[in-house]
Amino acid sequence: MKVAICVKQAIDETELKVGPNGTPLIAGAATKVSTFDKNAVEEALRLKSSGGGEAVIFTVGPADARKAMKEALAMGAERGVHIIADSERLDPMLVAQLLAKAIQKSGPYDVVLCSEGSSDTYCGQVPPMLAECLGQPYAGYARKIELAGASSKVERALEDRVEVVECPLPFVASVVSEINEPRYPTLIQIMQASKKPVEELSPQALGVSTEKSLVRVETMNAQSMNRKRVLIEGTPEEGASKLIEALAKEGVIPG
Amino acid sequence: MSQEVWAFSESDSVANETLTAANEIANAISGKAVMLLVQADSPGKASVGKKLVVKGSAQSPDSPEFVSEAISRAAKQANPAVILVGGTKNGREVAARISVRLMRGCLSDVSKLSSDGKTLAGERGEYAGKVLTRVVADLPCVATVKAGSYPPASGKGTETSEVQVGDVQAKTKTLSVNRKPAATVDLKAAKIIVSAGRGVKKKEDLAIIESLARTLGGTLGCSRPLSSDLGWLPEDYHIGLTGLNVKPDLYIAVGISGQLQHVAGIKDSKVVAAINIDKEAPIFQAADYGVVGDLYQVVPALEKALTSKRK
Amino acid sequence: MPIYSSEHRRLMQILHPSNHEEYSELLSSLGGFMEKKILPLSPKFDTEELSIANSRKELLGQGLCQIPFPSEYGGLGLPFSVYATAIELLGYADASTALSIEIHNAVSEGIFQFGNETQKKKYLPKLTSGQMLASFSLTEPTSGSDARTIGTTAKRTGDGYVINGSKMFITNAGDAETYLVFARTERGPSCFIVDAPNHGMTFGEPLKKMGMRGSRTCEVLFSDCQVPESNLVGEEGKGLDYAKGILHGARIVVAALNVGIAQTALEKAVAYSRQRKAFGQPISEFQLTREKFADMKTGISAGRLLYLYASRVKEMGHDCSSEASQAKVFATEMSLKVCDAAIQVYGGYGYTTEDIHRHWRDARLLTIGEGTSEVLRLLIARKELAGSA
Repeated sequence: MKVAICVKQAIDETELKVGPNGTPLIAGAATKVSTFDKNAVEEALRLKSSGGGEAVIFTVGPADARKAMKEALAMGAERGVHIIADSERLDPMLVAQLLAKAIQKSGPYDVVLCSEGSSDTYCGQVPPMLAECLGQPYAGYARKIELAGASSKVERALEDRVEVVECPLPFVASVVSEINEPRYPTLIQIMQASKKPVEELSPQALGVSTEKSLVRVETMNAQSMNRKRVLIEGTPEEGASKLIEALAKEGVIPG
Repeated sequence: MSQEVWAFSESDSVANETLTAANEIANAISGKAVMLLVQADSPGKASVGKKLVVKGSAQSPDSPEFVSEAISRAAKQANPAVILVGGTKNGREVAARISVRLMRGCLSDVSKLSSDGKTLAGERGEYAGKVLTRVVADLPCVATVKAGSYPPASGKGTETSEVQVGDVQAKTKTLSVNRKPAATVDLKAAKIIVSAGRGVKKKEDLAIIESLARTLGGTLGCSRPLSSDLGWLPEDYHIGLTGLNVKPDLYIAVGISGQLQHVAGIKDSKVVAAINIDKEAPIFQAADYGVVGDLYQVVPALEKALTSKRK
Repeated sequence: MPIYSSEHRRLMQILHPSNHEEYSELLSSLGGFMEKKILPLSPKFDTEELSIANSRKELLGQGLCQIPFPSEYGGLGLPFSVYATAIELLGYADASTALSIEIHNAVSEGIFQFGNETQKKKYLPKLTSGQMLASFSLTEPTSGSDARTIGTTAKRTGDGYVINGSKMFITNAGDAETYLVFARTERGPSCFIVDAPNHGMTFGEPLKKMGMRGSRTCEVLFSDCQVPESNLVGEEGKGLDYAKGILHGARIVVAALNVGIAQTALEKAVAYSRQRKAFGQPISEFQLTREKFADMKTGISAGRLLYLYASRVKEMGHDCSSEASQAKVFATEMSLKVCDAAIQVYGGYGYTTEDIHRHWRDARLLTIGEGTSEVLRLLIARKELAGSA
C-alpha cells in the first residue's frame, strides 16, 4: 500500500505580526506544519498500517522550509519529496500541477491525502485541483476512509449531511480534522526523522513553469480587533430579524 | 468570451445569494447574470432572472464530479466571463475542478467582489481571520462566493434556456446521503455557542436557549453563576476567566451581564452578539451586535425567524 | 502561546550553539504535547478528580526521561540542560506530574551512576521509557535532613538482605514497581533496589497534602522485606554518598520545576490584570501592579539562568553541588514570592479560586523537599568558605 501525503509549511497565524501601516509581515514570519496536515499524515499511517507499504510526504516550498516535512517524517512516514519553489505564495493551481507531476514521477500511489485546507490561507483548492491534474477520482472532506480491495468507501462531512461515496483506487481525498487524533512522535522518532531520505525536485525538472500565477494578491490588511458595538433596539421580532441579517452578513450563521 | 456571469450552488439559499453577486458583477461589466440549474427537472428552484438548465446523464447527478464536468462542458460552449459558485464545501470542489478544466484562475471564498471588465477581484479572510486579503484574477475566471456575504436575490424569473452536455462518466458513486442530527459539540471546538446567564430565571428555561443553539447548529454554554453557584449546568459549560476560553465564529450571550470575568473567556470569538434587557449592561461593550430586549421574547423570535428562513 | 517559548530558544542557543536547533525542536514537540495533553487536566489533578497515572505514562512514553541517559541504556544521549528545561515546561503544565516524574528519574540517575552493569541493563531501559515507575525512599518519620540517622535496617541473610523499618513522605510509593531504598547495614547506610510487589513492603494511605495533590505521597513499611544480594547498589556503607550524588542533579531539576510553576502564575496574573478594572482602568495600568510584574519576571529569569548554569556545570563534568543548591534555594523561594504576588493581583478571586492558589500550594513543598533551604544554604556557605581558605 503506497500512500502520498501533501503537506504545507504554513505561516504560523498565531505568531503573525503586523507592520506599522497595517500590513501583515508575511516575509520571514514564523512557520509551522499546516494544522490539519497532521490529520492527513495520521490517516495515511493508519491506512498503510494494516499491510505494510510506504507513506511518502510531498511538499512544495523554499529549500529551507523543512519543518513540515520533518514533522511528518517523525510521525512515521518513510521518506519525502520536496519540490523547491521559492515563491512566498504560490497559486494553488501551480501547487497542484507541481504535486501531480512529482506524484506521477515517484508513483504509483494507491491513495493521495491532503488536509481540507491550509491553516494560513485556507483556500481548499489544491486537493480537488490535484485530483483533476492526476485524472483521479476525488472525495473531499473525508471523515472516514475504508479501503476494500480496489475500491473504497469514504464518508464526506458536508455542512448539514454526510455523504458516503464509493471511490475506486487510486484516488485523492482531503480529510477533515475530526477523522482522527494525530499521534505525537516520540523524541527518538523526531531524532531519527532527520535521517530519512528527502528527494529534492525543481519545477524545471517537473516541466512546470511557476512564472505565471492565475490568481494574484492585490492587497493585504490586518483586521482590527475592536468590537463593533452595534445596538439593535425595537420589538423582539425587529431585533431578531436585524440580528439575523447582521450575523448572516458576517458569514457566521449558516445561509 | 461572452459577457455572461454564471451563478451556481447546490443549495437553493446559497444559489440565490450567489446570484446577487452575479448581478453586481454583470452590471460592472455590462453583461448578464445567469443562474445555472444543473440537472434540474423544473426551473422552480430559483425563479429569479435568466436561467440556464444544464442537463446530462450520470449515475450520481448531485455529485460535485458530475456538476463540475457538466458546467465545464457548458462553459466551453458559452464561454462566460465569470463563473460564480456558492462557497459550500461541494461548491469549492466544483469551482476548483472547473478552473483546472478551463485553465482559469479561481478566487476562493471571496466577498466584496468587483470587476473592471478585465479582472475579477474579491476579499477574503486569511491567517485565522487576522488578515483581509484582496485577490484578483484575469477574466475569464471562476470564483467561490463566501456563503452569507450577499443577500438573496429577489425579483421575477425571465427566460430559461437549456443545454445538453451528454453523458458523463463519473469515477465516484454516491452510496447514501444522511442528514445530520443535532449533535453535542465540545465547547472548545464549537463554531457557534449560545450562552446563558443570570437573566435566565429558572433551570427549565435553559431549554429555549439550548433550542436556539441547536437551530443554529451550535452548542450551549453558560456564565459562571449558572454552573458554579446554581449548579444548573456542569462546570464543563462554564465559559470565563476561571472556566473555558472559547473561540467560536459566533458567540451569543443571552441574559449575561458581561462581567469581565466572563468576557475574558470569549475575547477570541470572531463575532459576539448579546441579548440583554439592560441597555447599560457591560456585555454590549464587548459585543459586535447587541439586542436590547427581554430574552424571553427575543430568543423565541430568533428561533422563529431562523426556522422560517430555512423553509 | 507555546510553552517552549522564544526565551527558551534563545537560552538554548547560548548554552549549546552547535546543536540548539535540534534540542529546541525536541523540546518544542514535548512542550506541545504537555500543552495539549497535560495542562488542560492540571486543575483536575489538583482537586484529585483525576489521577496523573495515565498522563504520566503517556508523557514518559514520549521519551522525557530518556533524555539524559546514553543510548545503550535506552536513552537519547542529550545534554542535562535539555532534561532540566523539559521539567521546567512540565512544571508549567502540571507541578504534580513534574514532581512525580523528576523523582522517578532520580532513581534512574542513581542506578546509572552507582549501579553495576547488570542492574543498569535490567532497570534503565524500562524506567526511562516509563514501562516501570520508580520511587526514591530515603526520608523516614524521624529522619529527614539528618539522613545519617536513618533507622531502617538491612540485615544480611544467606542470599541477600532483610529490610525492616519505615519511610515517610515517599513520592510514587504504592504506584511504583521499583524502589530505591536506603537502609542501614553493618557497614552503615546502604542503597538497595526493592522490586514491587514484595510481601515485606506495604504502603500507607496517601497523605493529605497542601499541594502537589496529583502526586501520590505516603509511608512505606518494611517488615522482613527480603531482597536478593544482587539488588544491593554499589558498596555497603556508601548509601548516603550515593544519595548526595543523586540529589545534586535532582536539585537542579527541582529548581527548573519551580521556575515553571512561577511562569504559570505570572502569565495568569498578567492576563487577569488586563481584564480586571478598578478606578476606571485595567489594574495592569497601576504602578504597584507593574512593580510586582517586574519583580516576578526578573525572579523567573534569574531562576531559569541559575538552573541552566548548574546544568551546564554538570554537563561539563564538574562538581555542581553548590550551583545546584544555589539554583534550588533561589528558584523555590522565588516561586513562592511569585505565586503569592499572583494571588495578590487576583484579589478576592486569588484567595477563593483553587485554580489560582494551587500554584502557591504546589510550590510550597519544595523549599522543604529534596534538601531544605536551610541545609542547602549551609552547603553553599561551606563550599564558599572552603574555597577562600
